[in-house]
Amino acid sequence: MENLLSLLSGFQVALAPENIGVCMLGAILGLIVGAMPGIGSLAGCALLLPLTYKFNPTTAIIMLGALYYSNMYGGSFSAILLNIPGDSPAITTALDGYPMAKKGRPGQALMAANLASFIGGTIGILILTLTASGLATLGLKFGYAEMTIILLIAMTSISWLIGENPIKGIVITMLGILVASIGMDTLSGAPRYEFGNMYLLGGIPFTPFIIGCVGFAQVIKLINEREADAEKRASDDSKTKLSIKESMLTGHDFKRILPPILRSGVMGTFVGVLPGSGATTGSMVGYAMQKKFKSEEPMGTGAIEGIAASEAANNAAAAGAFAPLLALGIPGSGTGAVLLGGLMMWGLNPGPLLFDTNPDFCWGLISSMYVANIFTLIVAILVIPFLIKILSVPVKYMIPIITCVCIVGAYSTSNSMYGVIIMFISGIVGYLLDKNGFPTAPMLLAFVLAPMLEQNMRKAFIASQGSLRIFTDSALKLVLLAVFLVLILTPTVKSILRKIKAKKAQN
Amino acid sequence: MENKKKFNLRTLIPLATAIVALVFIVVGLKDYGFWKNQPTPGFFPIIIAVVLLASSIACFIQVARDKDSPEVKYNRNELMVMLGAAGIILCTFLIGLVPSCLIYILLWLKFVEKAPWKVIIIIEIIMAAIILGVFTAWLQIRFPMGLLGDMIF
Repeated sequence: MENLLSLLSGFQVALAPENIGVCMLGAILGLIVGAMPGIGSLAGCALLLPLTYKFNPTTAIIMLGALYYSNMYGGSFSAILLNIPGDSPAITTALDGYPMAKKGRPGQALMAANLASFIGGTIGILILTLTASGLATLGLKFGYAEMTIILLIAMTSISWLIGENPIKGIVITMLGILVASIGMDTLSGAPRYEFGNMYLLGGIPFTPFIIGCVGFAQVIKLINEREADAEKRASDDSKTKLSIKESMLTGHDFKRILPPILRSGVMGTFVGVLPGSGATTGSMVGYAMQKKFKSEEPMGTGAIEGIAASEAANNAAAAGAFAPLLALGIPGSGTGAVLLGGLMMWGLNPGPLLFDTNPDFCWGLISSMYVANIFTLIVAILVIPFLIKILSVPVKYMIPIITCVCIVGAYSTSNSMYGVIIMFISGIVGYLLDKNGFPTAPMLLAFVLAPMLEQNMRKAFIASQGSLRIFTDSALKLVLLAVFLVLILTPTVKSILRKIKAKKAQN
Repeated sequence: MENKKKFNLRTLIPLATAIVALVFIVVGLKDYGFWKNQPTPGFFPIIIAVVLLASSIACFIQVARDKDSPEVKYNRNELMVMLGAAGIILCTFLIGLVPSCLIYILLWLKFVEKAPWKVIIIIEIIMAAIILGVFTAWLQIRFPMGLLGDMIF
């Protein structure tokens, strides 16, 4: 009941004219960015972060939230029509979406994706509404030691889940933490690792660093996709004509998609809440789960159930990821890390106290997600006849445009060429790391969470006068430590077992 | 002959991260300390740098032993994107940021992508509208004018 009242007051914030305006703008931009192959929600949020500086924190996060959210819708467009997923969560959508489009039902595939995204997202937001403040209350019981272990779990789980190689995950996470420790000591304010450079004294600026690691690194990679993109566009698939009327679903279609949507919506939300999982894992789990149920057509051959399961799960996961972000200050994914960095930049400290200190902000954001979900559905349906035009912007023209947006964005957030140079260097480093199989998302997460981890760890050691017992003196801490150890040891054990199996197979 | 195989480029990243870790450990111990009745500013970064050093060494061994993975290939186009951005940064000091960006777009689209003039003009107009309309007029960002701009204005 209390949550419902808070939600209603949140709607007063979300329905303010400027918030409705930015919510719509975020929804439209998110759809466009999501539909553009190769950009994705992470790069999209990073590139558009500078645009939110003009707003107050609530309005800014409403725009970014809507953008992130609608990105999940947009990613399915190019996956269905061109077999090029706009974003990684749409990979599983392409498995059935493209074959369904090839069967002559591209409009219905898009409509099913939109409806599944809407219903899945609504389930995710409902669960978020019911659980977020409870999670925050639980978070208030955590001391420095518990928070230290939880932050370690968040950092390690994302490294484990994203890459196949846990050692590379650790390397990249530690690198992110070290980069964040340049500038000033978080507790005493003393200069640290600035190497006599007055610019480094202020630390590595967050937004240019993110824009470089994600946006500029992505542009460098995009150049290799020009030929493949041109070939796909030259095929007949990109010349399909669509209309809203012809895209409508039949009653039978609706009956087919509803059960997978409901199942994947609930499952996706819980996957999204787990640190390190995010929308991509959500859509994969949703799709894998659907394989265990009956579909009218075999999965992977254009089954509408496959599209529904994948899209419902990724939108639900995107909504679910806001729960640990708002309640504990722990982002579930790279995009979550960008949103968290934005919140910190605007002077807000996400965590258990946020619901008490800034209820308008928290509930305004949650309410705005309902509004954004409705807006995005309307825009996503209305845009169907123009999709082919939107998707016809070739990758090769995007390269100079995104390069300039990265440079202009990096300058505007730092008001100095130092920001542009940081963006440029971090872009090249991000590209080299990615090329060598080091995923960059764990580095971003580590960069954002590092100050919080350091503060909690040092305060825990100060309180215990250097004793490690502070991390093991209660049942909760022992359980958390056990989770942490399982997370660290699982991939190592798996890898040893794989090697033993391979040796046995050779013999 | 097999032993004379050329240097594995993939080992460069763990090597670089190991060097970074060593720098953080040495500078941390020398300048910021580790513990003085309580954790000092070097405490946390030194612990992290030790873990980074250990994992970098493990990663180096893993990559060096792995003979099956294909060699990472870099191509000229990727370098061109980096040089393009570096060119904008350098030109900014001479002619300012906005003209540098617009000239870069024109040159890239015309000479690298061989785009038709119609497309170039449309993209130039859109980009000018975004930079001047959104960033300069709305967000009120004062972009650097460069030596030339400072002389004229």
